[in-house]
Amino acid sequence: MKNARSHLIATVVMLVLMLGPLPGLAGDFKLIANSSVKADSITGEELKKVFLEEKNSLSDGSHVEPVFEKQGPVHEAFRQAYLGRSDDDLQAYYRALVFTGRGSMPKELGSDAEVVAYVSKNRGAIGYVSAKASLEGVKTLAVVSAGSGGERRLLTRIEPEYPETLKRLSIGGLVRLEVTISPKGNVEKAELLGGNPILGESAIAAVKQWIYTPNHSRTTEEVSIPFDPAR
Amino acid sequence: MRGVIFCCVCICIAQGTLQGQEFKLFDRTVQVHGFGSQGFIYTNDNNWLTMDTSGGSGAFTDFGVNMSSQVTDKLRVGAQGYDRNLGQLGQYHPSLDWAMVDYRFKSWFGVRAGKVKTTLGLYTDTQDLDFLRVFALLPQSIYPADLRDATIAHAGGDVYGNISLRHRLGDLSYTAYAGHRSDSIYSGYAYFLSQYATYIKSFGGLQYGADLRWRTPVQGLMVGASRLDEDITGKGVGVSPFNYMAGVQPYYESSKADWENQVYGEYARGKVQIDAEYRRYWRNQQVFNGTSQDLTDVRGWYVSGAYRVVKRFRVGSYYSRYTVTNVTGGLLSAIAIPAIDTGLPANHDYDKVVAGRVDLNRFWNVKVEGHFMNGYGDAPYPNGFYPQVNPKGFSTSTNALVVKTSVNF
Repeated sequence: MKNARSHLIATVVMLVLMLGPLPGLAGDFKLIANSSVKADSITGEELKKVFLEEKNSLSDGSHVEPVFEKQGPVHEAFRQAYLGRSDDDLQAYYRALVFTGRGSMPKELGSDAEVVAYVSKNRGAIGYVSAKASLEGVKTLAVVSAGSGGERRLLTRIEPEYPETLKRLSIGGLVRLEVTISPKGNVEKAELLGGNPILGESAIAAVKQWIYTPNHSRTTEEVSIPFDPAR
Repeated sequence: MRGVIFCCVCICIAQGTLQGQEFKLFDRTVQVHGFGSQGFIYTNDNNWLTMDTSGGSGAFTDFGVNMSSQVTDKLRVGAQGYDRNLGQLGQYHPSLDWAMVDYRFKSWFGVRAGKVKTTLGLYTDTQDLDFLRVFALLPQSIYPADLRDATIAHAGGDVYGNISLRHRLGDLSYTAYAGHRSDSIYSGYAYFLSQYATYIKSFGGLQYGADLRWRTPVQGLMVGASRLDEDITGKGVGVSPFNYMAGVQPYYESSKADWENQVYGEYARGKVQIDAEYRRYWRNQQVFNGTSQDLTDVRGWYVSGAYRVVKRFRVGSYYSRYTVTNVTGGLLSAIAIPAIDTGLPANHDYDKVVAGRVDLNRFWNVKVEGHFMNGYGDAPYPNGFYPQVNPKGFSTSTNALVVKTSVNF
C-alpha cells in the first residue's frame, strides 16, 4: 500500500515535471492588496496604470497605491509582465513625475516580508511578492487582461480547488487562462495558456463558474490565477 | 564656491549618502528630492548661449529642490525651487519653479492649481531634468535653453486626465490650461533686447492652451499635439531708435494673437528611443509703445534617436533645424531690414549632434556631446547666438563640445 502511494506521488511528480513549469521558479509572483481594496481582480492595463501612477483608484472606487519590491527576480518578472519598461526607464519616468509635481516616488521595499507587512497595514496598497511568500493579512488579486471588446468586471468569482497531492508536495505557481465570455456574462470557454496543467484543470473548472458584467458582444480575456501551497 | 558645493553633492551621491528623503508632517509623508547639473561648453568660433564658449566656459549650472506630499487619496501638494546660471542668463537668481495643489477626482479628470509646469510638446515641462535623457542639450530649434522662461510654467490652473479607449485603441491623455506667464528679467529675451538699449523690467501675460497625446496600440508609440496662445506685455525703459535725442524713455510692447503649435511623436521600445517634433511659433508684437509691428515666424523640427549600448552607456544623435523670418510694420519698417530668406545663416540654425552618456550610478551621469551647427539665426529673435557676446560678428558655422554632469536624489 505504502509502495503504491509512493509510486503515485512519484508519477504525479514526473507528470508535473514533464508537463508544466517548476513551481516556485525565480520570477514567479503574486499580486497582493490591502483588504480595503474591494476588487478581487484587476486587468493588466489597469494594473499598469496603477503602477505608473496614472490611476489612483480602481473602477469600483477603491483607492490604490503601488508598492514595489526592490530589484530582484520578482521585480524583474513583474516589470516585464506588466510595465513593459526597463528599470532605468521606470526610474526616469518616476523622477519626471516627481520633479514636475505630478507624482511621488513609489514605495520601494526590500523583501517579500516588508511588502506584505506594508500592504497589510496601508489602505489601498497593492504590491507583488514571490509566489512562495507568506501572505498573512493581505488578499491576492487575479490579473485579468482586457480582451477583445473592452474590459468587463467580474461579478462572481469562485476560487479553484487546490489538488491535495500538489499542495502537499508544495507545487504551486501561476496559471494563465484565456477565457471566452458570452454577452450575458457566463464563461463559455476557458483554455490553458500557461502554468501547471493539473492546476490548470482546477482553475478552468472554477473559472467556468465565474460571472462577468453583460456586454453587447462576446469577449475574450486573459486570466491569471496564483496557486500558493503555503496558504 | 558653488562649484565646490556641486562637487560635494556629487561625492555624496556617488557614495549613496545623499538620497531622496522622507519625513512625517501631521502624519503625512513628505518627500524631498533634488537635482543639479554642471556643464562645460567649448566652441571653435561663435560664442554660444551668452557664454564665452570660444574660450571654454563652465557658466552652465542649474539645480532644484522640491517637497511634496500626498495629503489625501486624491489631494497632492508640493513646491519646487529652481536656480540657474547660463552665461549672462539666470545669474543665480532663484525662482519658484512650481508650487501647486493637485486634486485628481478620477483618472480621467483632475485639476491642478498654483504655479504649474506647462505641458507643451514632449519636453517643455521636463527640459531642466537633464538626467532623463541622453542629450546634454535638447534640440535648440524647439527647446532653446536661453528662452526657457517663455513656456516653462504658468500661474493658473490645468485640467487633465487619461482616458482608455475601447477596442484596445490605446489611451488618450489631455491637459488644458490657462494662467499667467512671468519671465525672469534674466532670461534670453530681456538680454536680447538689451542690445537695442532697451531694458525690460517685466515681461509676461496670459497664456492658455492644450495638449492631447495618444498612446497608440502600437507598443511604445505615442503621438500628440499641443497648442498655446498668449497675450504678453513687456514693460521697461529704452532709447527709441526714432528719437535718440529724447534719451531713455518708458518702453512698452504687447503681443497680438501670438500662438505656438507643436506636433510630436515618440517611439520607445527596448533599447531604442526615437523622437520627432515640429513647432511653429507665430509672434505679432506691437513694439515701441504701439508705433510698430514686429511679425516673427519661428519654425523648428528635429528627429532624434538614442540607443542603450549597455546598461550604463547610451549613445544618441539628432538633427535639429531652426528657421526664422521677420517683417516689420509701422515706424520700424523704415529702419528694419526684412528677414525673409531662411537660406541665410542669420535666419537659420541647422544642428547635427552626436552624444554619449555614461551613468556612474543610478543618480549620477556624465555626458559628452558634439554639435556641428550651420547658421546662427540671430535675427530678429533670440536663438542662442547674441551680438553682445560676439562683438566681431558671426561666423557661418560653429562646432561645439559640450560636457555635462548631472545628479539627482
